[in-house]
Amino acid sequence: MNRTRAVLRKTAWSFFTIVFVVVLNFFLFRVLPGDPARAGIRDPRLNKDAIEVIRVRFGLDKPIINCFDSLNPVKVGNCAVNPLETQFFIYAKNLVQGELGISYHANRPVVDILGERLWNTILLIGVGQILSIILGAAFGVFAAWKARTSLEYTAVGISLVAWSLPTFWLAILLLFWGSTMGLPVAGKATPGMSSFPLLQQWGDIAKHMLLPTLTYTIIYMGEYTLIMRSSLLDVLSEDYILSARAKGLNTVQILRDHALKNAMLPLVTVIAINLGFTVAGVIQIESVFSWPGLGSAIYEAVIRRDFPVLQGAFLLIAITVILANLLADLTYTYLDPRVTVE
Amino acid sequence: MKKKMLFTILIAALALSACSGGGGQAQPAIVRVGWAGSPDTLNPGMAILTEAYTIFELVYDSMYELNLDGSFTLSLAESANVSDDGTVWTFKIRDGLKWHDGQPLTAEDVAWTYNLYKDTPEYPYLNGYYTPYFDTIESTPDNEVVLTLTEAIPNIESQLVFLYILPKHVWESVNKTEYENVEMIGSGPFKMAEYVQNEFVRLTANKDHFSTPPKVDEVIFQTFENQDALVQAIRTGQVDMVTEMPNTAAESLKADENIELVVGAPLAPGVTDIIFNQLDPENCPEGGICSGHPALRDRNIRLAMAHATDKQQLIDVILLGLGNPGLTLIPDGLGVWYNSSLTDYEFDPVKANQILDDAGYADTDGDGIREMPDGSEPLTFRLNWPSDSINAPRMSELLAEMWGAIGISLEPQAVDPDALTAQCCPAFDFDIMIWGWASDPDPSALLYVYTTEAIPTGSSETGYSNPEYDELYTNQQVELDFEARREIVWQMQKMVFDDVVYIIPFYDANVQAYRTDRFTGWITDQAKVELSDITSLVLIEPVK
Repeated sequence: MNRTRAVLRKTAWSFFTIVFVVVLNFFLFRVLPGDPARAGIRDPRLNKDAIEVIRVRFGLDKPIINCFDSLNPVKVGNCAVNPLETQFFIYAKNLVQGELGISYHANRPVVDILGERLWNTILLIGVGQILSIILGAAFGVFAAWKARTSLEYTAVGISLVAWSLPTFWLAILLLFWGSTMGLPVAGKATPGMSSFPLLQQWGDIAKHMLLPTLTYTIIYMGEYTLIMRSSLLDVLSEDYILSARAKGLNTVQILRDHALKNAMLPLVTVIAINLGFTVAGVIQIESVFSWPGLGSAIYEAVIRRDFPVLQGAFLLIAITVILANLLADLTYTYLDPRVTVE
Repeated sequence: MKKKMLFTILIAALALSACSGGGGQAQPAIVRVGWAGSPDTLNPGMAILTEAYTIFELVYDSMYELNLDGSFTLSLAESANVSDDGTVWTFKIRDGLKWHDGQPLTAEDVAWTYNLYKDTPEYPYLNGYYTPYFDTIESTPDNEVVLTLTEAIPNIESQLVFLYILPKHVWESVNKTEYENVEMIGSGPFKMAEYVQNEFVRLTANKDHFSTPPKVDEVIFQTFENQDALVQAIRTGQVDMVTEMPNTAAESLKADENIELVVGAPLAPGVTDIIFNQLDPENCPEGGICSGHPALRDRNIRLAMAHATDKQQLIDVILLGLGNPGLTLIPDGLGVWYNSSLTDYEFDPVKANQILDDAGYADTDGDGIREMPDGSEPLTFRLNWPSDSINAPRMSELLAEMWGAIGISLEPQAVDPDALTAQCCPAFDFDIMIWGWASDPDPSALLYVYTTEAIPTGSSETGYSNPEYDELYTNQQVELDFEARREIVWQMQKMVFDDVVYIIPFYDANVQAYRTDRFTGWITDQAKVELSDITSLVLIEPVK
């Protein structure tokens, strides 16, 4: 199998997965019991007409799919409804046009809500990922290089602890510690900073990012250290490393020219997968530090049963995970030629 | 050379920045309020959350102002006259009022706004409840608003208090339902300066306000999703006031010498209720399942359960003491409307057992659970609550223990709130539920919940039906004499209390805190606690 065909096949599979997720995502929220028009709002003031108004506004008065009732075998063939007027068709049509519906709760387009939040999350996990990759890889190499010394055991010990710390707990701990140091514990910026010079605003955001980023970095750094170390130890035990050593190369040369590139492969996989999942995994950090990102949007939407937002966010996460995996696959086909061979 | 020049520029820049920073100007007095929410929308017609109403209260004016003691005072109007038959209200709007953008605010704006609320069915909360009695609204050249009602009603103040007056010149040309209203041109004591949803709301003082110009310069409401962070923020001085906190934090904050705790009924009082499905199968609404346990239709059972409920223990364990025992859905925070003459059923399991024995509910098979008098079914009730409730799981454990002592067993289960809504009403597919209501300043909304009419609409959770009560409800809606209306409202409460329609374990208290070293003058001695209300925020001033 040649490389182009492998790439095309993987891309096509990813596309079908996304279509599947789109369909699943629609029905997932509609099989839930209850009436979205009444959920979350219990108010004796809401009369029947008012509920009907809400239902019409969000298109909930329309049938979910055409002939839904006729799924009952007795009624098959009785589809009077215009298929273009079903909730599913409207959902699909909106999706193609880049619309994700209107939030029940905030009365704004979901695309706008998720759009603003996404950038905040990217900022947080972007910095966090870069820091944890650099530090994790460095510690991992260091631990493998100093294998079977007390330095390695310390590094592995610390990493294991860091990786297994409950994110929520570590975040709370850092919050208490940080607040006594005068660090901001909530939000992305100090309210009212928008009138200050840009440089000062950035400084303010950086200050607000300190605690959440630190939490993120500590958690992921542990994981990356462990993976880098074990992968490098594997590579270092290979025969070609022995022959390199026999050639008289020193440790730095061996690491740089022969070991590191090969040892990076597992780390690339994990980073790619993490990139997809951290959007969802960052929920805890964002809600502890009230960081206005995608994670806290999901948290709020769950509490308020804001299905359009949840539906949009799930779709976004699913697509990120799928694309991150595709990216990892594609990177692999270039890093390791064996991958394209079936 | 280059280096030297750079150095000179640097020094000059430093000197300049020092000048601009310390020009001898007084620091603006900024009050920072921490809260756990954010407005859902700033469009007054579409908003649901109390956070949105807090902001409306500060930025807009309405015809009446709701005071912390539950009374109303005229705000935008200097006088109100009512016709003899009570249907025509004439409000004389103050002269010289201005919108935040400098345009004049006149009776025309007021009339236009009321018509907007009345004619927009997409504003379900306002339209369905606050404007149904509005017939016509007109403005006169004398700066008066003439409001004609379809029939005379006693509670015009509470109908008008949440109808915030909007500027016609802004709202005329926008889409009424989709307009996000982030610029929020109002006329109230505070102006909208900056709003980022779920992050913060920044308001600046309107020092020219006609009645209540604030003494501070700015108020910032900052959203904290995590209540521990909120508590930590007031402790370290990152915020000056918090509108809510977990009850568990109250004790430790009390110990802080710079922090003062305020506990009392909230501005929008809430009530936690234990709901008995006592729907008569004959009244089963269309599409209802009506699977309630027949025993719960017997007042004896409900009375026995009331006697077996130790409310003080519930308050001590669940609220850490921060609440009051409840009687009916009308909470003590509603002031005069709360029937304070009722005496609660005493906690007395012996008496409870006696009631059940006398009514013929005996434990015939000796398993510790009583059966129906005809032996058909044991007294085992399903107990459900919304799974997002923090207090209900603990309460269900305590109730199972308390009622277990009188031979009643429970099958407790948390249910997804959506599923519970579907299960609740008008389906009536449950036995007992733990839930709650929030209250309007007027008792009418919550009294409606007990009416027969509310059974098919889904507002009645108990299926309680009493023609006498229904009649009283209609009467109180049209009784214009305040004292006579209060009398009826009290009578209605007595009726449902005697019928043990609900058990109200407690009325939750509001716990708020402020820093004593930053601002002074907070209102803490009123019937209701709401430090973020306009009443407090216009009074406070920086500590000298």
